[in-house]
Amino acid sequence: MDELELLKKDWQKKEGTMPKLSYDEIYSMLWKKSSSIVKWIFIISIIEFVLPHLLYLLPSVREGVPFYEQLGVKNLMIGISIFNYIVVFYFIFQFYKRYREISVLENAKDLMRRIIRTRRTVKHYIIFALSLFLFTFLAIATAIYLSDGEHLITVLNLDDDATNLSPARLKALISFVFIIMGILFTALIGLIYFLIYGLLIRKLGRNYNELKQLEI
Amino acid sequence: MKKDLEHKFVTELEDNQNIVHKVCSLYTNNRDAHNDLFQEITIQLWKAYPKFRGESKFSTWMYRVALNTAITLYRKSKKQVRTQDYSDFIYKIKSDDYDETQEQQLRLMYNALKQLGDIDKALVFLYLEDKDYGEISDTLGISEVNARVKMNRIKKKLRTIVNP
Repeated sequence: MDELELLKKDWQKKEGTMPKLSYDEIYSMLWKKSSSIVKWIFIISIIEFVLPHLLYLLPSVREGVPFYEQLGVKNLMIGISIFNYIVVFYFIFQFYKRYREISVLENAKDLMRRIIRTRRTVKHYIIFALSLFLFTFLAIATAIYLSDGEHLITVLNLDDDATNLSPARLKALISFVFIIMGILFTALIGLIYFLIYGLLIRKLGRNYNELKQLEI
Repeated sequence: MKKDLEHKFVTELEDNQNIVHKVCSLYTNNRDAHNDLFQEITIQLWKAYPKFRGESKFSTWMYRVALNTAITLYRKSKKQVRTQDYSDFIYKIKSDDYDETQEQQLRLMYNALKQLGDIDKALVFLYLEDKDYGEISDTLGISEVNARVKMNRIKKKLRTIVNP
């Protein structure tokens, strides 16, 4: 006899051995909080959307504005900010739309596909945000390099020690530091983000691929 | 009105809770995780209930939500212990057809079932629940032919686990 048929026979007899919850026990569960992956993705994504913008509330970041002005990149920075906000709102809109389309009543494959698509929107946003971040650093580095060396010393409020260097070397040094900082920050934030992304969606991605491979 | 809906839902779930318990016993390894998953499935069922228009049987509708929750939505709690505990599968065959080799075989089968991946478990579960391939393919979102192919592979896999 087929092993599975034997199992099926036994399985159907099993009803009696399963736990049995009372009406009240089930009723109390209706008001418990869900801890589903969709909810986690929603919360974490909102944090990821909001967090970079909270940076502007830090005093040191706000003090950068007069610095940009003196460096002659103020208009560029305003341009970048406006562009950034337009794109962020587009991503939030996309994310919300896709999030609303997730329904537990879909078949398993479509449900997984929709969740992954929602999460992917955030991934694209992060890639965009990181690129813009790196671009900003590179733009500042270029502006410093092209600026007048004497002027730079007053802009950056450097003390006398620094003025021992020739202005040309000083400019090169500072822009080099900016480039390195930009790359390091971008890499660090990117690494943290993709770790979280990978952990959140690992099981889901594995199951989705298994279903998708069947169709090839 | 809302109270009516709550009452209707809880009563239907109470009558059909076996389906959810069976899904939980398949996808979890201990009592805590079982209850945790049961709760999450209940929440998901309740959230989706206003969309249930009664075009299918309540139980049919439950299979999809319960499996979707177990496979996709549920995140195992950190507390989950790794030890295997088959208490939910301890069955008491005290009927006339009690047979020691058969029982041994069944025990091996249940152990083997636990070792399958999430998708394989879902297929076997629907199969054991006597669902046809049409419904299995509908629930998982794969074609009927592929559901059959996959089921045959699982049968082979189970056979090698049971008879190494």
